[in-house]
Amino acid sequence: MRQSRLGRGASLARLALRIGGRYAARSPRLIFASVERRGELRQELALRTAEDVVEELGSMKGALMKLGQMASYIDEDMPQTFRSAMRRLQHNAPPMTPELARSVVEAELGAPPERIFARWDPLPFAAASIGQVHKAITTEGRAVAVKVQYPGIARTIVSDVQNVALLRRVTSAAFPGLDTRSLIEELGERLREEVDYALEAENQTLFADYYEDHPVIHVPRVVGELSTPRVLTSELVAGSRFDEVLGWSQHERNLAAETINRFVSRSLYRLHAFNGDPHPGNYLFHGQGRVTFLDFGLTKHFSDEDLAPLIDAVRFLVVENDPERFRASLEHAGFLRAGAPVSTEAVVDRFGVFYSTVLRDEPVTLTPAYASAIVRRFFDARSPLAPYSDVPRAYVVLQRINLGLYALLGSLNATANWRRISEEFWPFLNGPPSTPIGEAEAAWEQSRQGRELSLDRSA
Amino acid sequence: MQAGGSQIEMMEPLARAYEHSVPEHPIDGGLFGPGSMVWRVHRDRSFPLAAIRSLMVQALHPLAMAGVAQHSTWQRDPFGRLAATAGYVLTVTYGDTVAAERAAARVRAVHTHVRGTDPVTGLAYRAEDPELLLWVHAGMVDSIAEIVQRYGRSLDAAGADRYVAEMARFAEILGVPASRLPTSVAALRDYLEAVELRQLTPAASEAIAVVLDPPGLDAPTRELWHDLGQVAVGTLPGWARSMYGFDAPPAESMEREPVRQLIGALDFAFESLPGVLEARERIALRTRA
Repeated sequence: MRQSRLGRGASLARLALRIGGRYAARSPRLIFASVERRGELRQELALRTAEDVVEELGSMKGALMKLGQMASYIDEDMPQTFRSAMRRLQHNAPPMTPELARSVVEAELGAPPERIFARWDPLPFAAASIGQVHKAITTEGRAVAVKVQYPGIARTIVSDVQNVALLRRVTSAAFPGLDTRSLIEELGERLREEVDYALEAENQTLFADYYEDHPVIHVPRVVGELSTPRVLTSELVAGSRFDEVLGWSQHERNLAAETINRFVSRSLYRLHAFNGDPHPGNYLFHGQGRVTFLDFGLTKHFSDEDLAPLIDAVRFLVVENDPERFRASLEHAGFLRAGAPVSTEAVVDRFGVFYSTVLRDEPVTLTPAYASAIVRRFFDARSPLAPYSDVPRAYVVLQRINLGLYALLGSLNATANWRRISEEFWPFLNGPPSTPIGEAEAAWEQSRQGRELSLDRSA
Repeated sequence: MQAGGSQIEMMEPLARAYEHSVPEHPIDGGLFGPGSMVWRVHRDRSFPLAAIRSLMVQALHPLAMAGVAQHSTWQRDPFGRLAATAGYVLTVTYGDTVAAERAAARVRAVHTHVRGTDPVTGLAYRAEDPELLLWVHAGMVDSIAEIVQRYGRSLDAAGADRYVAEMARFAEILGVPASRLPTSVAALRDYLEAVELRQLTPAASEAIAVVLDPPGLDAPTRELWHDLGQVAVGTLPGWARSMYGFDAPPAESMEREPVRQLIGALDFAFESLPGVLEARERIALRTRA
């Protein structure tokens, strides 16, 4: 039944190699992903009723698209049909008619959008997680992005993922080599989260609160009183898209990459949370390293126990140069089976690749080739370690982010002393600011702590 | 690729039929027109289920069954045969008038050669016989109306009646006199139950065994198909189910939601085949225009 680890590792490697190209080409995204241009939204085929929505995305279709997306991360040999199904269906997922979107707003917020908002654009400007995004201006004059969920989709998707028997049959037909149980579990969890905009609002608010007044990182504020489980209203932000940034000067690209890298490190080590989708569409760029982070539909929270082995790994490999303890921390986390009959040297060789940008205290340039080499090395099925390594479930999202992130930073061709930047965040070092952005962050952090202290006192 | 790749190939003739039957530049609205109930009903995703039920009802007329058994290559290529029938239905529905009439003329020409004697009843048959054509038509229309009402997009009783009435034209072009054609669901069912010559022949048993368990499917696909077959059996009229000797399936397996999920999963695969989505969009755009 189960595909050999070896085979799966090989598939992963091939898949990962293509991620870079896929991102660069801005190939069509799944319906659950964020951004699509207004002109591409096919208004002439717009969904007019809740029944239209269920026809398009209910009855397993939305669930299967999501499943395929997830499986594509782990099974490169997924039948071509399934692959093209996702591509084609995404391309054609139509928007709601203005009337249908309006009816959702009315049902959720208690009045039609023209009365709730001072101005309301009846046509969406982007596709979103099982919905679409409208521009509006609140009665206080704030420009906002209003994400409106397809009516009825939450109920049908939740019911679809509960039909585990059918999902098992479909997945074992589509992925004969794969153990699909954990995939189906993960699918259920992801989709239940994704249909709940209230959860997303909560996560976005967590990030927005934490990053308030940050010099280069911006997270749009949620407008709580205009948000519900099916409508998410947040501050509208204008900025340049990723593909525009590719035409900017290398200096600007370096700064943008540095900020993304800082966002990831800071969120993980300080906030213990990870915004899980490093897709180019989820960033807006404002120059001089200022970046807005969008879409918190996939946020993973880490416990101290989840994080401890990751921190140990970096510490023992990179800083303390203690391969045996590095190996022990990987075993502890479940990346490597304990007692595997392989040399510690081989373990360092294989798992060390993920740390290769931070091994030395010097500027390193991330190129697409470099990014894919890292991934290729990590997933090399010919490695003697392949039969003993795994990605434990707690880290699946992290893994996915890492792959996407390398591809993203690689396509920016970004150069920085990543080691010094990382040291700022490693909890066992708390290194000093190493760049101008780092200085600005440090100042921000100080004023932030000051604010918290004064809050504590007043409480 | 793996087995998963080969399963979908069976649907490919069906996808091509879909693609070719819905013209990109039709001269006119065809026999029914974009505003018709026929257009609305025939694009429903529950069609595979309706097809299985149709075949199960139609096979219970010994002479209709004998004609198929003695003159068709369906056993060698059941999915190809199904695709040919689907292509005909889709062309007559969505094609322009010229295409529909040409398709009907072809079928009538083939029918002139289909004649013989049924070994079970000893009766002679010919495919041009309006009574046989009426039986086949009624089995199909009744099945589509029943399945779409239960598992498709909303279709109320009045809509179903209108559908049956509009479909009279469908049989007329093959040579059934208008006066013989039922124009409501009730009349259609009365007709089916009034036909004297209804029985399960060995040819029908054999044919339906293949329909319910087509050769060459891998285990998981086969299970999905069995689930579908079970639902089709559950929707049969009582008389037909007892002729086959099937028990009524458990009520929970007949509920709308799980059946729609099953249909949706199959349709997801079908829609991914080249041409299908585009054909559906052509229909949708014309219906809305």
